[in-house]
Amino acid sequence: MLFFSYFKELVGKEVTVELKNDLAITGVLHSVDQYLNIKLENIKVVDEIKYPHMMSVKNCFIRGSVVRYVQLPVDGVDVEILHDATRREARGN
Amino acid sequence: MASEEDGAVKEPLDLIRLSLDERIYVKLRADRELRGKLHAYDQHLNMILGEVEEVVTTTEIDDETYEEIVKTTKRQVPYLFVRGDGVILVSPPLRSA
Amino acid sequence: MSWAAPDSFHTTSLADNLDKKLLVILRDGRKLVGTLRSFDQFANLVLEKAVERIIVGDLYCDLPLGLYIIRGENVVLVGELDQTKKDLPAHMVLVSAAEIKRAQKAEKDATELKGTMRKRMEFLDLD
Repeated sequence: MLFFSYFKELVGKEVTVELKNDLAITGVLHSVDQYLNIKLENIKVVDEIKYPHMMSVKNCFIRGSVVRYVQLPVDGVDVEILHDATRREARGN
Repeated sequence: MASEEDGAVKEPLDLIRLSLDERIYVKLRADRELRGKLHAYDQHLNMILGEVEEVVTTTEIDDETYEEIVKTTKRQVPYLFVRGDGVILVSPPLRSA
Repeated sequence: MSWAAPDSFHTTSLADNLDKKLLVILRDGRKLVGTLRSFDQFANLVLEKAVERIIVGDLYCDLPLGLYIIRGENVVLVGELDQTKKDLPAHMVLVSAAEIKRAQKAEKDATELKGTMRKRMEFLDLD
């Protein structure tokens, strides 16, 4: 639940989601669920030329299982909180 | 419980706990490697890394000679969430380095 | 039920996309366009009047497929198509099904040729 909780705190912030098929999309995080499925708003595809079919897509749903990375905003990371939450989660297992 | 003590290593993920706030090496699927400071992880090996360097190794085939050209592309990312299902291995920092 | 919660609840539910024209990208790279009639928690989808949008370079074509029930694990992305805008850049050219299939085959052949040439070169290198 650590990352689900973490991403919920990030709602409203801009992130770049990189998919396993190499598509990278920047957008405002609208929502996230327990599978780490993600909804983005106001999206911009990083390599627009390569993906013309994405031109008129403004909002999208990304299945969690196809995500490779999410680039996080610097002001969206509090390392102390993350360390504590990780230790708590590790004890719980 | 021994496993709750910070130093106890009973299972593989305990070693990763000991690397919190340390720089680690992560090998991923699709010829990708990461080096970065470990800030968070869970049982799936989802992670958040900081001050990340990603190295991607690609092989292209030359149009003229049909020879394989191996290229490595590097980039820096301040903070990166990494989905665990792409992780092949995690290695703690080298003490000598 | 929670999956039908309104958008203001900030869920990842596809409920807001029901009855809308959507772009669905699949894991094998195919792009489908159709109207979303149903979905579930696995992102299994029912697309009505589905078409496969094939793009080769600046050429494109929509091949009609009918009613599609898509297994969720193959879904990469579901995008809302902005109906006030054109789906594709203006310089792209709509061609017939026969033409797009020819273009697709030409692209595939070129890639394969590269692969076989590489294998032949490797063979010669062995001496």
